[in-house]
Formats: sequence, structure tokens, C-alpha cells
Amino acid sequence: MYKLVLAFRYMFKRRISYLALAAVGLCVFVVVVVMTVMTGLVVDFRQKNHEFAGDCVVGTDSLVGFGYYEEFVEILEQSEFVEAVSPVVKGYALVSGAGSERNYGFELMGVDADRHSAVTGFGRALHYHQDDWANAFRPSYEPNLPGFVAGIDIWLERDSRSKYTHPSEPTRRRFSVSCFPLTAKGALARAGTDVVRTRTFYFSDTSHSGLAKVDGAMIYIPFEWAQQLSGMGGAVKRASAIHIKFTAGTDLSVGCAGVNDLWEKFKAGKQNEKAAALLETVRVQNWKDYRRQFIAAMEKEQVMLTIMFALAGTTTVFVVFVVFYMIVSHKSKDIGILKSVGASDGSVAGLFRLFAVMMGLSGSVVGSLAGWLFLTKINDIENWLFERFGFQLWDRTVYAIGAIPNRLEPGVLAIVCACAVLACMAGAYLPSRRAAVSAPAAVLQVNQL
Amino acid sequence: MSENEFILQADGLCKSYRMGAGRLHVLREVELGVRSGEFVAIVGASGSGKSTLLHILGALDRADGGTVRFEGRDLSRLGAGELNRFRNKTVGFVFQFYHLLDELDVLENVYLPAMIAEPVAGWVVRRKQAKARARELLERLGLVDRAAHKPYELSGGERQRTAIARALMNKPRLLLADEPTGNLDSATGNGILDVFEELNRSGQTIVMVTHDERVARRAGRVIKLADGRIVQSEAGASQG
Repeated sequence: MYKLVLAFRYMFKRRISYLALAAVGLCVFVVVVVMTVMTGLVVDFRQKNHEFAGDCVVGTDSLVGFGYYEEFVEILEQSEFVEAVSPVVKGYALVSGAGSERNYGFELMGVDADRHSAVTGFGRALHYHQDDWANAFRPSYEPNLPGFVAGIDIWLERDSRSKYTHPSEPTRRRFSVSCFPLTAKGALARAGTDVVRTRTFYFSDTSHSGLAKVDGAMIYIPFEWAQQLSGMGGAVKRASAIHIKFTAGTDLSVGCAGVNDLWEKFKAGKQNEKAAALLETVRVQNWKDYRRQFIAAMEKEQVMLTIMFALAGTTTVFVVFVVFYMIVSHKSKDIGILKSVGASDGSVAGLFRLFAVMMGLSGSVVGSLAGWLFLTKINDIENWLFERFGFQLWDRTVYAIGAIPNRLEPGVLAIVCACAVLACMAGAYLPSRRAAVSAPAAVLQVNQL
Repeated sequence: MSENEFILQADGLCKSYRMGAGRLHVLREVELGVRSGEFVAIVGASGSGKSTLLHILGALDRADGGTVRFEGRDLSRLGAGELNRFRNKTVGFVFQFYHLLDELDVLENVYLPAMIAEPVAGWVVRRKQAKARARELLERLGLVDRAAHKPYELSGGERQRTAIARALMNKPRLLLADEPTGNLDSATGNGILDVFEELNRSGQTIVMVTHDERVARRAGRVIKLADGRIVQSEAGASQG
């Protein structure tokens, strides 16, 4: 019982304890804030990638795509665990404005707007057709004209608050989209005498997926047109990928395994077909693996930051060690007194370890509260800094984020607090051992005081 | 003197410390017996080994050789837990510099040995009883109005009386005092000795260490220690 009373008094009656508490609290605060923001960014980024890809993708990196996709789409649509399916054509295009000599290279995606919106967040990413995504490729100013959707960063510039200002109606503008069609074998397919296929499209809408590399480089056109422009619309029609959404409650890995089984059977059934070789390049991937190269970079950044802050945390361990060493040195008389009235070695060590736990818990509470308070106000603080001093944590003209993520994850908080307590216990371990083994007769000698 | 009469008996106690290349022999074959209810003063010059002897008698230190028996039990054969219980329940220490904990108030300092003896659950049950005992001791020693004060708010005499109250908290059968008046003026020191005499009259066994022969004479028996050996044992003033 005395341990609890004395540890509490050591904690709150000594100035040096407050310094150690401040060090622990500060460390918890910094880690909580950074981890929350980084975790928020990663979660947000993963969610956006999930929205972009759907649950599962059956696709190939080959620019010539793969055939017989329509049959496989039918098989998928008959599967119980599949809610929606969207075949897409992917390629590259040169885009030039009407009357302009300048070309710009973009990634091209041909989609059926309605089907793709049912599988991915395509429809929700539109601006003018958010409630009418089936007509995404019909410009509102002239619905009979062939329209295209541009990644928002191609069409508009963000202001410093990460806001895009759309005109009330889409601007009537005409563009030529040129592709180099490829045969199933990958050779350039000639369209008459020309190796380039060109078609005119009118601006219809923007797509804001929240992924900088998509919004700044992707234009969307109707699936059939993309097929024709890319040379995938021959006798055996080809597609680049099939995006799939599973029914609610379907486990991602179970769903993907199901799709993979269907694909293997389908592929086996097509092995004697003319374009069967292209099927060999097709992979079935869940959305995480499909977007791995983008997500992994951010996750690696998060891991690196975590390691950096773990290293910074060792400083806290050292600070706590120094504080405890000083306290134990200063409290050698108390240790002698306690032992003279019957306290055991283990009990004395326990006193200082309890003190360390209290320090860790108190520091965690202080740091967490400060972190929570800071996070609730982080966007206000950033706005205030921007208005007063023009300072922004992330330049919104560069980074595709709106508000700074500030949702405190209980799991992250629990881990940080547990680490803080462990750090305090680690810092107090040697000093408490030293206290435990000190001889009472030696420390209570008059010439030792 | 029959061995069976002694509550505390030391035989052939030796203690030495390393001093550079050689050893400093503090105690040499010390023989000592203390009867129950006796008030014994060990007197000697500074460095004569009297504090070391007291620490060994109270199991705060271990002898290099010889034995200490308390009520017939050899302290050197007790395990760590038994020694802790011995220091907690059987002996009470009073030190020259009081050795109170500054973080605790007077009342808490007094019931500290009871707190140490109990785990949290036991303390919840016995807390009231312990506090009542601590208050009773403070009342007996004239400190009840100082119960809520911190040690640094007390005079030297008050601190020493608090230390005596703490030493008596668990009703020890032996009270060991190391220069209890060494840090006090003569009047205050006499007050402390009055307390010891009163305790002794009520049956408390006391072994006190002092360098002051006048203080030692207040005890029932005076043992002189010189160069680590007992050189003389005589009746004190309270016996005469």
C-alpha cells in the first residue's frame, strides 16, 4: 500500500517529476498527432484507391488487352458473390484542342459510365453528372455530341485551399483524341493509310478521384470508342481489364479466390481459341494488389515515420532514465528508511516501477489530451497560419488532400500510450534495481547523508 | 547471567570494511546480551563501531563472523522475507537524524511500518486500526496536534518523537536507538531520554547507542565499546 501512496507523492510533489512527465507527454503528443495524420492520409489514400479500382480486377498490363472478355463478364454476372462488373479499355492518347497544334499525352480509359459507376466511385467523382452518371459522356450543353471526362487536374487548377472552382455549366470545348491502335499481336494496326486513329470529343465533365496521378493524367471516353481507337474492337473484341464489385458481406480474399477459380476454368476452356495466348497475361488481383505500387509508397512513408518517431522515443526513455537516476540518488535516504522499517528489496524496486508506470500513464493522458485537442483544431490552426503567414503544412496546389486527417484512432492511441508506459518502465528499470540492492546500513550512515 | 534470560544475544561478532589495500576492523569478537525489559546504552567514541553493532543487532547489516540471536533465533539463518518481517514487527529503529519521509505527514510517517506490512487489501481492512494506533502514539508523545504537519515543519525534538512513534508503531519487542539525542540540544535531548525511560518503565526493551556518557547514564546498563571491543559493562543511573 505504501508504494501507491509514495509513488503518488513522488509523482506530484516533486518538480523534477513534472519535467519527466512533460517529456513523456510531449513525446506522446507528437507521436499521436503524426501517427493520426499519417494514418489518416494512408487510410484516405487506400479508400480512394479502393474507390478507383473496385474490389477486384481481372486485367493485363499488355496494351493489346485480352479477348473473350464479354463471355467472362457474363459468367461473373451470374455469380452470387458478384454485384457489378465493368470491363474497361486502357491505353494512351494524344489530345489536342480544336485549332491547336499542340498535343498532350494522357492515359486513356474507356468505360461504360453506368456500369463503371456501379463498380467504382467513378460516378461520385463526377461534378456535373454526379446524380446522372449514366450520361457522363453526354455534354449537358449538347447531349448528342460524344463527350469525354477529364481528370480534374487536367481541366482545372486547385486554389491554395485545395478547392476547384467549376463554372456553373461545362465549357463547350472540342478536342481531338488520337491513339495508335494495336493488333492482338501488338503490331500497329493501320486504319486505311494512317497508323493513328483520331476522333473528336467534347468536354463533358471532370472526375475527381482524389488520386493525384489519376486526376492529373487520365481522360475517360465511352468504352466502345476507346475500343475502336485502341484497335481492340476487331472480330475478337478485347478489353484491358474487368473491374468487379462483390456483394455486401463477401470477404475480399474469398471473393477474389472465387473470381480466380472462374477465370482459370474460363481460360482452360479457351485454350484452343485463336486469341488464347493473350489470356495468359491476365491476372486476378484484389484492389490492394492492383494498386500496390501506389499504396506501398505511402505505407512505406508511414513505416519510416513510425521508425523515426520510435527512435525519437528512445530519447524519452533516456530522459526518464536520467530523471529516475536522479530521483533514486536523491532518495537513497528514503530507501534506507523504508528498508529499516521492513520494506523488501523487491518492494522498493516495485515502488520506483510503480512510479514509472504512473509517470507513463500521466504522460500518456496529458499527451493524448493535448494531441486530441490539437487534432480537433489542426485544420483551424493551419487555416489561421495560412491566412496570417501564408504557411501550409501541405501545399494544396501540390498535394491532393482536402482537410488534414484528424480522426484519432483508438488503436493507434492505445499503442502509443502502451509504448509510453513501457518506455518509462524501461527507463526506470536500472535505477529501480539500483535502489533495490542498496544496503540500508550504508545509506543511513551519518557520513552518507 | 544465563543465556536463556537474554532476549538479544550477540556472540563473537566481527565486522570489517575494506580500506584501500587493507581492512578496517570495526567489531572484534563482540559479546553482548540484553534482557527483556532492559534499557542498555552502548557508549563509545566516534568510530568505535557502536552504530555498526546496532545495525547488526537490528538486522540492517550482516556481521562477517559471530551470531546474533533474538529470542533464541539466529538472525543469520533467517531468509530475506523473515528479516524484513523482523525489521518491521520485532525491532524499531530511532536514528540520530530522525529519517522521516518528507513526502508523508507526521501521521503517515508513524503508520508507515503498518502500511509496509500490509498489501492493499489488508490495508483497506486494517487502515482504521493502524491510524488509531498512530494517533494514540502521537498523543502519548505530545504530537497529536502535529499529525497533519510535514516533517520539515517540525522542530528537531518533535521530529525525533515522531521517529520514536514510528519505531513503536508495530509494538516491537526491541527498540534500537542510534544517537537519538545527538542532533538535539540538551533540554530537548533530555525530553527524548525521558520518553525512553518512560517506555522502558512500561516494559520496552531498549538498546541505545551514544557517544555521550551523560546520556548513557540514563540507561539501566552502560556498555563501553572501544576499538571494536566491549571494554566495560556497568549499571547506569536508572539502576542506581
